[in-house]
Amino acid sequence: MASDDGQPSGGDRTGGDNAGTSPAGSQPPEADAPAPPRTATAPRRARRLGFDAVTGASALRTTRGIATSVRRHLAELSPAEMARLLRQRNLQFAVGAALVVLIFAVLKGRDLGTWTWFPEPALPVAQAPDGTTTVRERSDGPRAPQGDDDKRGAGQPAPAPDAATPLPAPAPSLFDLSGVTSPEPVPIERVPMSHVENAEQVEADVATRSVAITSNFSGTEIVVFGAVDNSRQSSPEAGIYDIVVVLEGIHTPLVVRRKSNVGGLWINTESLRYASLPSYYAIASTRPLEDIAEPQVLSQHGIGFEHVRIIPAGGTGASGLSSDEIKDFRDSIIRLKRKDGLYVQKDYGVGFIGKALFRTQIGLPANVPVGPFSARIYLFSEGELLSSFTTNVILQREGLEALLHAFAFNYSLLYGLFAVALAVGAGLAASAIFSRSAH
Amino acid sequence: MNIYLPIAEMSANILVFLGMGAAVGFLSGMFGVGGGFLMTPLLIFSGIPPAVAVGTEAAQIVASSVSGALAQYRRNNVDVKMGVVLLVGGIVGAVIGVDLVKLLRQLGQFELFVSLAYVTFLGIIGTLMMIESLNTMRKVAAGRPASMRRPGQHGWIHGLPLKMRFNRSKLYISAIPPLLIGAFVGMLGAIMGVGGGFIMVPAMIYLLRMPTNVVVGTSLFQILFVTAVTTVLHATQNQTVDIVLAMLLMIGGVIGAQFGAVAGEKLRGEQLRFLLAALVLLVCARIGWNLVVEPSDLYSLSHVVGGH
Repeated sequence: MASDDGQPSGGDRTGGDNAGTSPAGSQPPEADAPAPPRTATAPRRARRLGFDAVTGASALRTTRGIATSVRRHLAELSPAEMARLLRQRNLQFAVGAALVVLIFAVLKGRDLGTWTWFPEPALPVAQAPDGTTTVRERSDGPRAPQGDDDKRGAGQPAPAPDAATPLPAPAPSLFDLSGVTSPEPVPIERVPMSHVENAEQVEADVATRSVAITSNFSGTEIVVFGAVDNSRQSSPEAGIYDIVVVLEGIHTPLVVRRKSNVGGLWINTESLRYASLPSYYAIASTRPLEDIAEPQVLSQHGIGFEHVRIIPAGGTGASGLSSDEIKDFRDSIIRLKRKDGLYVQKDYGVGFIGKALFRTQIGLPANVPVGPFSARIYLFSEGELLSSFTTNVILQREGLEALLHAFAFNYSLLYGLFAVALAVGAGLAASAIFSRSAH
Repeated sequence: MNIYLPIAEMSANILVFLGMGAAVGFLSGMFGVGGGFLMTPLLIFSGIPPAVAVGTEAAQIVASSVSGALAQYRRNNVDVKMGVVLLVGGIVGAVIGVDLVKLLRQLGQFELFVSLAYVTFLGIIGTLMMIESLNTMRKVAAGRPASMRRPGQHGWIHGLPLKMRFNRSKLYISAIPPLLIGAFVGMLGAIMGVGGGFIMVPAMIYLLRMPTNVVVGTSLFQILFVTAVTTVLHATQNQTVDIVLAMLLMIGGVIGAQFGAVAGEKLRGEQLRFLLAALVLLVCARIGWNLVVEPSDLYSLSHVVGGH
């Protein structure tokens, strides 16, 4: 095996493999100008490398030569020789390599950060025109002071004692959400009835308030449960009340593009920018939405796919499109998001367990965008909104995932260098391992 | 067995991507090519966002070229001076390429551009290779030896200024052609997620007329550094290098390459080239098909790039 390109590692060889075949082997490469004619190796290698090829294909034969020579070389590598990898010329090679990469990376990362080869197209607003705050108000005001601890105790399977207290609004910095607005539900109108003694109220919570995305995250289920206070239902089947649960992910800007056929090729031509829309939107209800309430009511609260708050970016992108086309774009968002499992509708997804207690289970797919979620629970009866309740779910990266993501985005230069170092290490390790096991 | 990819933001089956790395590694070991031109389209077909596929593939090419480059270097098969000139061009090209990726992503034409680049280059290379291998096969069948002709020695390239002496390659030529070739390959590599050996090696042989024995080493040398710089640039400019995905591909790739190399030894040169040409044309046709056939959904959603 080692017959032609060099001997198996003898004790004192230092990296330069040509020691055995060429007298110039140990010189630096620039110095061996007149390249002494190689001994028997040269013609053989030349043949192997495809010296005779005629067209560009010889290149491929030549590259095939790499495989051969790499393989041959790997066969010669012993662990002792691996230790010598970083000596002498190899060290120059490695240091030179690191310097080149470092210099350019640093130059690019620091000085050219604000400079590009191409002017960037004007970017549209990433913020929702109306709401830019990330702190959400809770909309269950008048219910709280009524001191209904006993009733809750009856209805809920021992939630945390402070189940009804507002969760602190998640700090935006935690999620790297600059430019992203969190769900901004419309303040719920106080229904007059709620001031009446013994009026129905809804209370709810999610079973897991914080979902961790770790390396083995492959989607999860969010369980939302709650109870109707002062329920007049005699049994779960009575059907006096309708519950609608809306689980909404962070609102992000998005671009929708439409392809059309240009000269035989399908090319993105029209595009429409949206300043803000929920990255995830699940809706579960006790009955189909159209049976629960009038469209106006549903629209007012952003319930249902027709009423999802999708806000086009003002002015930009929408020019030249008719309202029908704009509707097509909006429909395509819903359709594509549904296909990805990011917009979900479960018409009979909420079930009453007792006369007051209800529960639903909503699946979050693995590709769900990371960020804070809001769960809004609406209590309807005979088409009228009686009460609503809002709570939060936090979805965040944890462990290695959080580390890598923060690393990649906050220290992108170091991350890039780390990726290169990892790749170089993997390449060298692979050579070492396979050179030993192959023979 | 799933793992969540932190940058691609999706859950991926470990075995699928290990297998993909192994399959491409097998082919690249068998044919002696880098495999970037196979891996990047495969990643895109399997749902990895194209920009992440390109950025991650650059890291994987670093891994797969490092041992080859080192081996060639130790055999003195690298013309370091030529390599550095190519590298300077290559880095400039990579910088332009990465910025171009950013611009194209903002315009929503990145996928189109990548597809067109693939169809063009794979189509040309595949066709040339197919013709050449068929010719050789016919000659071998007819009992004539394959010709060993080397093309003429002088061309317009020799009239350019800025001449440099490349001792290892025994050349005295202008530095401009290698700079341009390096820049072109660097740019393509950054956009297509390939090393670019399949363009660089013919260019070195037929345009620069470098001796064949230093071509492979020098091109590997250049590819290693250019892809390293490209990886860093993708990481800083576009945040599209997924280390977890890259590791999966590397592990699969090096294992597959070992078996592929053994399989490759059992085939003759022109047969290998014929198979490779067929593979290249197949990938080309598959990508081209997506461009000409009406997509099942005309609409697509994408995140706003750089919109913060």
